Parts: sequence; structure tokens; C-alpha cells
Amino acid sequence: MRILLAEDDPLLGDGLRAGLRQLGFLVDWVREGEAAERELRAQSYAAAVLDLGLPLKDGMDVLASIRRSGITLPVLVLTARDAIPDRIRGLDVGADDYVVKPVDLNELAARLRALVRRAHGQPQERLSAQDVALDPAARSVTQAGVPVILSAREFDLLHALMLNAGRVLSREQLEQHLYSWGQEVESNAIEVHVHHLRRKLGSALIQTVRGVGYTLARELPKAR
Amino acid sequence: MKMPRSLQGRLLLLVLGLVVGVWLATAALTWIDVRHELDELLDGHLAQAAALLVVQQAAEIDEDHRGVDAPTLHRYAPKVAFQVFHEGRLVQRSANAPVEPMLEFTGRAADGFNTIAIGGTAWRVFATHGRERDVQVFVGEQVASRNSILWAVLRSSLGPMLLALPLLALAAWWAVRQGVAPLRLVGRALAQRSPQALQPIAMKGAPSEMAPMLDALNGLFERIAELLESERRFTADAAHELRTPIAAIRAQAQVALGAAAEAERRHALQATLQGCDRAARLVEQLLTLSRLEAGAEHALVAVDLAALARQVVADAAPLALDKQQAIEVDATAPCTVRGDATLLAVMIRNLVDNAIRYSPSGATVKVAVSNAQGVVRLALDDSGPGMSAADMARVGERFFRVVGSGEDGSGLGWSITRRIAAVHQAVARVARSQSLGGLSVEVEFPAEEMA
Repeated sequence: MRILLAEDDPLLGDGLRAGLRQLGFLVDWVREGEAAERELRAQSYAAAVLDLGLPLKDGMDVLASIRRSGITLPVLVLTARDAIPDRIRGLDVGADDYVVKPVDLNELAARLRALVRRAHGQPQERLSAQDVALDPAARSVTQAGVPVILSAREFDLLHALMLNAGRVLSREQLEQHLYSWGQEVESNAIEVHVHHLRRKLGSALIQTVRGVGYTLARELPKAR
Repeated sequence: MKMPRSLQGRLLLLVLGLVVGVWLATAALTWIDVRHELDELLDGHLAQAAALLVVQQAAEIDEDHRGVDAPTLHRYAPKVAFQVFHEGRLVQRSANAPVEPMLEFTGRAADGFNTIAIGGTAWRVFATHGRERDVQVFVGEQVASRNSILWAVLRSSLGPMLLALPLLALAAWWAVRQGVAPLRLVGRALAQRSPQALQPIAMKGAPSEMAPMLDALNGLFERIAELLESERRFTADAAHELRTPIAAIRAQAQVALGAAAEAERRHALQATLQGCDRAARLVEQLLTLSRLEAGAEHALVAVDLAALARQVVADAAPLALDKQQAIEVDATAPCTVRGDATLLAVMIRNLVDNAIRYSPSGATVKVAVSNAQGVVRLALDDSGPGMSAADMARVGERFFRVVGSGEDGSGLGWSITRRIAAVHQAVARVARSQSLGGLSVEVEFPAEEMA
């Protein structure tokens, strides 16, 4: 899951990025408000963690601005401002969650996963398609109850497809889900990962929509 | 006499005391005046009666009348007595008059008014005699009867006032109570206030005498409200600023715990320590600032600012050398200011730290202390990036930081510098450095009065 972290404090930003990475997130870190807004407009993130006291452009202004533009990604506001009016304003402006520093990394990760799940209309923590089940918190996948070992990228790719079940994701969209800044993307990387997933989970799960991208088949085709 | 502690009691005591005093004085004056008039009038009557008796006796010295009592004609008659002597013999007397002469008159005739005691009763006696000196007349009147008239007069004129006194006291008590009612009202309003309620007391129709007190009280409320507000802001700001380093420490510690690779763990642990240092520095700065803002008294003594500057720069030099910066001091002549050495050292250290911290490596930092006709000036110049005019205007606001400096300062250093300067009545200014092109900070101390 790729998220944007907007935090101006170097130590905290570094810690959050490292911590969230350990918990399986792909983290892009910006240190000021204008960059945050630019990235949120340019890239497709699963969610954003936004500090309010950002230089150049206040976090609240960034939030209001992207919401006005119709960007609906889940935004978790992480701030030192704990006054009730601040919280209310934050939520009213368009934050999906409001967390006061300091925060436990596991809790932050859980909140982010919950936000992403809800944003995709998934009520359950565990995602499933056909006989494949995916647990985002444990980062584990099972097929017919049997654990399947996936690489981090394969897991992220499957996760993205499962979250967007019923929709077709283009190769570019999938790349954005799988790679943070500065990570070299091979031109056929997605095809390679899809190939590996099909080999591990069977070819019926991921379907290719020619010229558009990939989608997940929720039900097994009736074998008759 | 000890005055009551309550204003109401005090007023009541004064008013009633004065009323009673005036009343008693009136009574005394009336007594004296009436007594005098009464004495004149009754003495006149005595004299007249005596004269009549003398004339009568001279006209009819008659053996037949000797010892005959005068009839009792009036209820006052028993209180009046007379004796008529002819040639030393009692010839006529009233029933209540003794046989012996009221006054000794052997040898020579008695004359005029006398107050004597007959049978234990005080009598006012007028004595007179005929021209031949053979007739001696005494007319007496009981003094008590005069007093009873006097008392009757006093009773009728002052009695009602005596009766009115309790009513007057009650009325005065009520009036005084009404008069001090606004005070009670203010007292009650103040007593019912919560400690947070600091809005001014508004009293419609408050007496003008209370205006200075109310104004002073409201002024005090205003100052307390300002103090509380600044305190509240400070606490909120401080909490806000402390949360970030604490969040960083927590996150880094968790990263260290979860790190798979040794390098990652080391990095996170280093960052944790860094966060602790930063939080500690922040706490120290907050404490310094809060002590300064509390407006505590600082003992100001003669301090050599030049020596202090050399000391601080010597301490900070390693930091500058780490960044390959050139740092120099121009403070040779002693420059004495009245100040608190500890605070001044904190201020110079802040300024020097800032200059080093915000200037790139290879930059130059210059510290100078000079004395021009008693005006001591501390000047810091650096060749760093300086500040925009807008930033210069905002510098000194609590927690204001220059954006994009890449440094993790708290923005408190400047507030502290400003505060310390204010404690010393010194003025701190920021400008573009004329000599080095970066930032120039100047702190100017007031000229020392030669005492």
C-alpha cells in the first residue's frame, strides 16, 4: 500500500517512514505543504498522513484544496494540535481520521488500513476472492486455507487488485501502487509480478483486459 | 474607643453618636436656660410676696392677727411658706412654716435670697424687712418644686426626642444599610465569581465614590486575564511543540524495536537519542522562557559583556569548527553593563548558536562588543543566508521558525533573546549584515548612569 507522508519534522518524518515501511507500507515523504498537494494531485496513493503545521502551506489548506478538487483518498491528520475545535475543523474540512501525536506505529498502520478498506467499500479486514484470502494486517495470503508465500511486491499487487475488485487497474496505476519514489520500475515489472502470482495462485484469479489492464475474477468460472 | 470593623457599623456609630451628642447638648442648654429663667421668675414672685407682707405688716400691726395662719389657697401652697416677725417676735406664719426664723437675724436684719435646709428639705428663702427694721419677713419656697417645674419643661420639650431616639437609630441603621448596599452588592458579585470569570464588573448606578475602586478592580481583572491568556497560550504552544519530538522519539524507538537490519536499528536508535536531546533542549528553553515571562526580579550587577562574549564563543567554537566555519570575537576592551550574568550568557549563546546553525559550512560568524560613550553594543554578523524582510518582522514570535532552514530549532531562542534584552532594558534588532551579507543581530544596552 503506497501512502504519502507529509511531515516537516525531520526526526519524526524519518521515524514514521521507517516504521510504516516495516509494517509493509510504501511511503513517500514530503516536508512541506505545497509538495504534499503537488504529489497528491499527481500520484494515486492509497492514503495520506498529513501533519497540520506544515511550512509553505498549512496541512488544513492542503486538505481543503484537494477536497475541493474532488480528490477522495483517505487522509489521516497527524498533529500536535489536540484542542477539540481543531479536531472538529480537521474532520469538517475533510480528514477521515484525526490522530494526536505521539502515536503508536502499529495503531497508525491499523488506522491507515481501516481507512483504505472503508474507502474501497470493504467492511472486512480480510479480503477474499475465490478461494484466496488476504490479511492486510498480517500481510499473509492463504489459498483454500493453505498459506501461500508471496514477495512484498506480489502481495501489494494482489492487495491492490483485491481492494479494487470489480474494477480494471491499468499497468500505470498498479505501478503507482507498487513503487515509491526513486524505485526503478522495469518496463515489464507488472507483467512479471502478475505472471508469478498466476503461477502461485492459479491462472483464473487475475484476468487480463487487453489494452486496459488487469482485474480480479471474484468467482471461479463454472467448470462444466 | 475601638471603631467597629464594618463600614456600616462605623457609620451608624458616628451618626448615632453625633445625634445623641447634639441631643444631650440641647438638653443641657435647655436645662441651664430654663433654670435661669425659672429662678428669675420665681425669685421675682418671692420678692414680690415678701414686699406685700412687709407692706401689710406695717399697715396693720395688730395683736389679733398674731400667729394666724394664712389660708391654703393652691395646691402649690404647701411648698411655699412665710414668716413675719415684728420686733423679733413671730407675728404671722404659714402653716408649713417653722416657729424659728428661717434665717438668723439677731442684731441686724437679714436681707436677700438664700438657699437653706429646713427639716431636711432645701428651701429658697427671700428675706426682707420694713423701713423701721422692726418688721422682718421671710418667704420661702421648696427648691424641689422648682426642680419639678424644670423637669416638667424638659420632659415636655425633650421627652419626645428621647422616645424618637430608638426610632432614629433604626432609621439611621436602615439608611446606612441602603447607603452601603452597592458595596455589599460588589462583594457578593465578587464572592460568587469563579476564578475563570474575569470580565469587568458592571454596576449600573454605582455611586461615584465607588468608581475609582471599581475601575481599579476592573483594571486588575484585565491584567490578570491577559496574564492568564498568555499563560494559556504558552502552555498550549509548549504542549504542541513538545508533542512532535516525543512522537519522533516514540516512532524511532518503535522502528528500532522492529528493525531487521543492524544498520536500520542503529540509525533509529541514533535518531531516538537525537530526539531526546531535542526534547531536553526544548524543555530547558521553555523553562527559561516561562521564568522570564513570569516577570521574576533579576538581581542586576555589573557584568563585563566582553568577557562573557569571549567565554561563550570559546564554548561554541567546536560547533563552528565542525561546520568549517570561521568564528571570531572582537571584544578586547571591558564593556560593563548592569545585568544578570547567567541570562546574558544564555542570550549570547542563543545568538551564537543560531548564527552557526543557520549558516552553511565555510561561513563566517563575527561577534563584537563595543562601548561608545557608555552605550554598550553586542553585534553578531554572519555570512549565512540571512532572512527575508517578512521573516525579520516575525522573528521573536514564540515558536516562529524560518521555513526551509532544514534545522530543527524550536523557534524559542529568539523569544528568549528578546525577553532577556527586555529584562536589561536593551533593544535587540535584526538586519541584513553590512559586513558579511548574512544576518546581523544587534543588542544595544542603555547608557549606564554614573551613580
